[in-house]
Amino acid sequence: MSKLTQRKSLDYIKKEYVRTRTMPGSWYLSSYKFKFNIAHHQPMLEKLKEKKLIANQCSGCNRVFFPPRLVCGQCLVKPDRWVDIRDTARVATYAIAYLKNAETGEVEEKPMVLVQHDGADTCSIAELAPGVNVKDTYIGMPIKAHWSETATGGLMDIEYYDPIEDDAKDVK
Amino acid sequence: MGRQVAIVSAGFSEHSSKRSDVNMPELVNEAIINCLKKVPSLGLKDIDAFVTGNMPAFEGANMPELWSTDWMGARNKPLMRVTTGGTTGGSVAIAGYYHVTAGLPGIDTVLAIAYEQQSQGDTSVGLASTAYGEISILNTLGIDYDSLSRILSAGAAIGVAAYQATNYMSKARITEEDLARVVVHNRRNAAKNWWAHLKMPDLTIEEVLDTPYVQYPLRYGMLCPASDGACAMLFTTEEKAKDMCDIPVYVNGVASVANESAVLGYDGSGSAQTDPSAQIGAMRSSELAYSQAGISFPRKEIDYAEVYAPFPNQELMWLEKLGLFEETTAPEMYKNGTTALDGDLPVNCSGGVNSTNAIGASAMERPAVAALQIMGKADNQVPKTVHTSIGHGWGGSLNLCTLMVMSDEQKRKWR
Ligand SMILES: [Zn+2]
Repeated sequence: MSKLTQRKSLDYIKKEYVRTRTMPGSWYLSSYKFKFNIAHHQPMLEKLKEKKLIANQCSGCNRVFFPPRLVCGQCLVKPDRWVDIRDTARVATYAIAYLKNAETGEVEEKPMVLVQHDGADTCSIAELAPGVNVKDTYIGMPIKAHWSETATGGLMDIEYYDPIEDDAKDVK
Repeated sequence: MGRQVAIVSAGFSEHSSKRSDVNMPELVNEAIINCLKKVPSLGLKDIDAFVTGNMPAFEGANMPELWSTDWMGARNKPLMRVTTGGTTGGSVAIAGYYHVTAGLPGIDTVLAIAYEQQSQGDTSVGLASTAYGEISILNTLGIDYDSLSRILSAGAAIGVAAYQATNYMSKARITEEDLARVVVHNRRNAAKNWWAHLKMPDLTIEEVLDTPYVQYPLRYGMLCPASDGACAMLFTTEEKAKDMCDIPVYVNGVASVANESAVLGYDGSGSAQTDPSAQIGAMRSSELAYSQAGISFPRKEIDYAEVYAPFPNQELMWLEKLGLFEETTAPEMYKNGTTALDGDLPVNCSGGVNSTNAIGASAMERPAVAALQIMGKADNQVPKTVHTSIGHGWGGSLNLCTLMVMSDEQKRKWR
């Protein structure tokens, strides 16, 4: 069904207004520079070259941040302890975006998945393996990082996440 | 020791997708005239200060408060602008409350105005600009721009709402039908409200489920519209309120609490809120506001609720997080009619944000409608007598909650 027929099927009581004068305009803004500290990312990026994951931990609340965080908002403390985390993770949440491909004009399903690594307290953006139907995923699904062949020291070294067998007892 | 504050009036402009007949100051003026009309004894000279707010980047007009000054009647009077994203209206209302409760000499009556004319500008650009700083740091960490752009794709807010919906649906074990039921509830209520935008008196659950997905699990028919509209509220002291109207509505508790933002987190480090539907900020804001108002059993003591829910899953989520229903029981309440107009706890009888969303004004329309329900002057008035009501707002960097608790009697414990 096209979007226009959609709008019609959900028709609402609409009022027509007399038009006032309209002038087109636009904001010509200069480019902006966003500053952020990346020093606290360096140890993690170094370890990624060895295909290992580390995260930093707050000494106040013991929360583990992956990717590392500059300051813990709960304690106002700089996390300074480095801990290893596993490359297994669980799906924290997911959604699917329906986007129009600019070249073909077809609507494509693009999954948007957030994963929480085992041993970390934060979740981050991730990709699932190409063959996985995102509608078959569920919250808490166990997955494992699939590393690229040559690690270069960036989050893109984890190409995607493969589903692994779920040994949890309470899954329906 | 603050002064007791009362709401004496609230007004709205007509809301529509394109108010092509008015410009921004004229739209603002419409709401103010509607608000002041309800208080005939009040002249413009009796208003001591003004608080106003919108999201300037959404319309492309910088410093709109200067453009609108004469249309608000604020010339040569204290004027303050508050802008906090989706909660702008809620923050403006709370700022209006603070002005009065502070007890400054000569400032007794304050007019709070919130508005948005989204048809004038590009809202998705405005939303993207707020998220861009966080997104670009993830880009430097090696996440390609393609997957980041998906978050921005359909506007930042729906991306987050879709995550909240997935989590909430798996937690409460509900289907899309339960979400569609909330939409039908809202749009049918909106049909009885003169200023609402999406008025659909005959909408059915099947019609909503017949629309395509915009962002799984949310369908096109479940999304809030983009509206043009304005809202105004009049705050004054206890003593003056009694001369101005029959039933003054006392503001007994306000709170504005932010928690760590879900999804993006801070500084590209992901979010420690691994469950986007946990909403600790909403729980904290309700704790604070209820304790100020002396409410111990929200479900028993609150008679009417207006919650800020652009998407149906949020309406269910907020009602639980604000302590009105037990966790995961809200969908059942929509099934058995508890939240209907003549139910035990009517919710969003104005149609809610799901039917009318002029972003800057939305969070103020919630307390405004909740106050009018107590006065008995609301457009879709509930049949039962409302003694205590709440108006909630959500926004900021998707993690800020504002809450206003109103009642027909003064109840502040710490006074
Ligand atoms: Zn900490």
